[in-house]
Amino acid sequence: MKKHLLLSVVILFALVLTSCGPKSTPADEEVCTADAYGCAKIEAGQTIKIGMSSPMTGGYADFGIDAENSGLLAVADAGEFEGFSYELVAEDDEGGAEGGAAVANKLAADTTVVAMAGPLFSGATAAGIPIYDEAGIPMLSPSATNPPLTEMGSAVFNRVPFTDEAQGAAAADYMYNTLGFTKIAVLHDGETYGKGLATIAKEEFEAFGGEVSTFEGITVGEADYTPILTTISADSPEAIYFGGYNAEAAVLTNQMKSLGLEDAVFFGCDGTFGADFLTNAGDNAEGTYHATPKDPPASEGKEKFDAEYLAAYGVAPVVLSPFSYNSYDCVTALITKLEEVAVLGSDDALYVPRGAYAAAVRGLTDYTGISGTYTCDEVGECNVEGPQFWVVVDGEFVYAE
Amino acid sequence: MNLNEKTKPPLKQRNYFKIIRPIFGVLVTLFLIWRLYLVFIVQHQYGPETWTRLLISGLIIGGVYSLIAIGYTLVYGVLLMINFAHGEVMMIGAFTGFFVFEATKSISVPSAGNPELVFSNAYPALSILIAFIAGMAIAAAAGYFLEKIAYRPLRKAPRLIPLISAIGASIFLQNAALLIFSPQTRNYTNPEALSRGDGWKILINGTDVTLPYTGVFTFILSILLMVGLLFVVQKTRLGKAMRAVAMDKDTAALMGIDVNQTISNTFIISGALAGAAGVMWGLHNGMFHYFVGFLPGIKAFTAAVLGGIGNIPGAMLGGMLLGMIESIGPTALDISYQLKDVVAFVILIVILIFRPSGILGEVLAEEKV
Repeated sequence: MKKHLLLSVVILFALVLTSCGPKSTPADEEVCTADAYGCAKIEAGQTIKIGMSSPMTGGYADFGIDAENSGLLAVADAGEFEGFSYELVAEDDEGGAEGGAAVANKLAADTTVVAMAGPLFSGATAAGIPIYDEAGIPMLSPSATNPPLTEMGSAVFNRVPFTDEAQGAAAADYMYNTLGFTKIAVLHDGETYGKGLATIAKEEFEAFGGEVSTFEGITVGEADYTPILTTISADSPEAIYFGGYNAEAAVLTNQMKSLGLEDAVFFGCDGTFGADFLTNAGDNAEGTYHATPKDPPASEGKEKFDAEYLAAYGVAPVVLSPFSYNSYDCVTALITKLEEVAVLGSDDALYVPRGAYAAAVRGLTDYTGISGTYTCDEVGECNVEGPQFWVVVDGEFVYAE
Repeated sequence: MNLNEKTKPPLKQRNYFKIIRPIFGVLVTLFLIWRLYLVFIVQHQYGPETWTRLLISGLIIGGVYSLIAIGYTLVYGVLLMINFAHGEVMMIGAFTGFFVFEATKSISVPSAGNPELVFSNAYPALSILIAFIAGMAIAAAAGYFLEKIAYRPLRKAPRLIPLISAIGASIFLQNAALLIFSPQTRNYTNPEALSRGDGWKILINGTDVTLPYTGVFTFILSILLMVGLLFVVQKTRLGKAMRAVAMDKDTAALMGIDVNQTISNTFIISGALAGAAGVMWGLHNGMFHYFVGFLPGIKAFTAAVLGGIGNIPGAMLGGMLLGMIESIGPTALDISYQLKDVVAFVILIVILIFRPSGILGEVLAEEKV
């Protein structure tokens, strides 16, 4: 009897105590039961995990390494929230659909993963969306540009880069009107992103009145593309537009030179930009064009980020891949929105209502990141301006006029 | 031949396949001829310079395929198994060659005229020779230990078991290379005398067609190595022992041949050829990484089957043919380049329909069926 009395006194005391603390209403339960997806519960002592899904091995590894670098800085800058620290869980998806689905399943199984700052590549994104959708994990991709991704009806997927509609049109415009090309060949790597972009560029170029002499796919991962380049050279186009990634782009530029395509310009995209391309293409990289998001306006945040990035990794941002700023912004935006919806429970655990969180991310309005100001529309397009074209001069990327 | 009678299918079914198979083969052949007719007679889109270029690139890649295919064929000849880790042996050769060139590049030999002269440019022939010897030696050692560790303990096991062991060894070697050398793509630094992209120019139909130095070098060296191998197999005691073991292990042992040693030697020879192929790959294509052996390995296996597995000249012919089909096929048939492997495999199927044991037949393994 006495024991029971003692216990009830303790419980009462505890209740009174907790009700005095900040945000201590039993609202956590209310919030969670009202939410369509329920809550992510982060126990005291655990970290709030933000996922990232990008290629970190293989030919496109620089993209993933760059995104992780930026994400780690964003997490460090975010500090702590209600005594919880953030953790970036960067997983390797090798850029492909299989890897994208595997990473999605792995992260969805971890209940303390609340958000996904990615995936980076469109193929992995397309495979991951249904899984994140089911788990109620809001996504904010720094670089998945394939247009149909936002047409899948997903409630959780959002992205910040310009779409390939914009990039394809801009590239076609640049080639036809600025560089004055009238006959080009268009190649793609047959993947979600590359083929989508190449198709748009081809259609836009033809709409301007230009001629596309060849429209062909290559198979990824090969070391010899001389046969296809030979066939292309028979029509002697002024440029080769390529939708794909830097590993294949480097092989193509290297092999163009001995096949009668010495004078043809290699015109890449935001998938071919990066230090890896320069290393692998060497001297042959001279005069090739690539794309990135528009260079961010000068700001305090940018300066700080540039300095931090250089100090931590020994290279400047936007050297390894075009998406350093976008990646930082995505992680920071996800954290900002998380802090708006997360509730500290009476048991000292942090509750994140997943549905409300996804809605909050979709509702990003006039959010100022380093790359610019983001406002997401109803399907999750929060596009920054773009693209910016670059040309390689003396072994370095410089702005193309 | 006893085996065949035991597994003979019911008469009806056999007749059915006997009729349907050639019909299918003839249909596919007619389709291929029709496409060729369209491209060469009707469209007539490409001039001789295009075909020459395609032929050159086909022969170069074909030479590399041939060297790797010989490795499959030799091992199949003596062990009746497919060494699926063979592509990885080639990858090891590519890495070795790379490190040799990096080393020779870092040795400075300043001369009066050029204070920045490095060893690989001062003595290109010597550095290439060292790279090939080192690449072949390390790859041969890899082949030797591969057999010792992954296959020898399974010599008496059913035939499926070493196959699985081979796939396991392949995955192990890939991941070991990934961990040791990191996943980044690397680039060969060729000696200046053999720089990539340069070559002799021949004027064909008013256009300069480049005959790349690296390509010519690769092709000639692969031919020399193949001739050397044929000499070893046909004229030396070692080759005689290999042929004897391939025919009948037990009888060979009774005749005083050390079967284990002969099998080891076979792996050493096939490893050395794959190592040479790896260095050639690096010299000609430049870029390589831990996964570089996979695709050529699969292609070379196909080439070995195409020429008749177990048959050394067959592997050479199959490799050259596969390289040329891959290079010329999509253009000649006016089929998308993404389907070049499909083109290659359709032609493989057609050839196997009319010649079920490959173009030149399974010479070494004949007695075992």
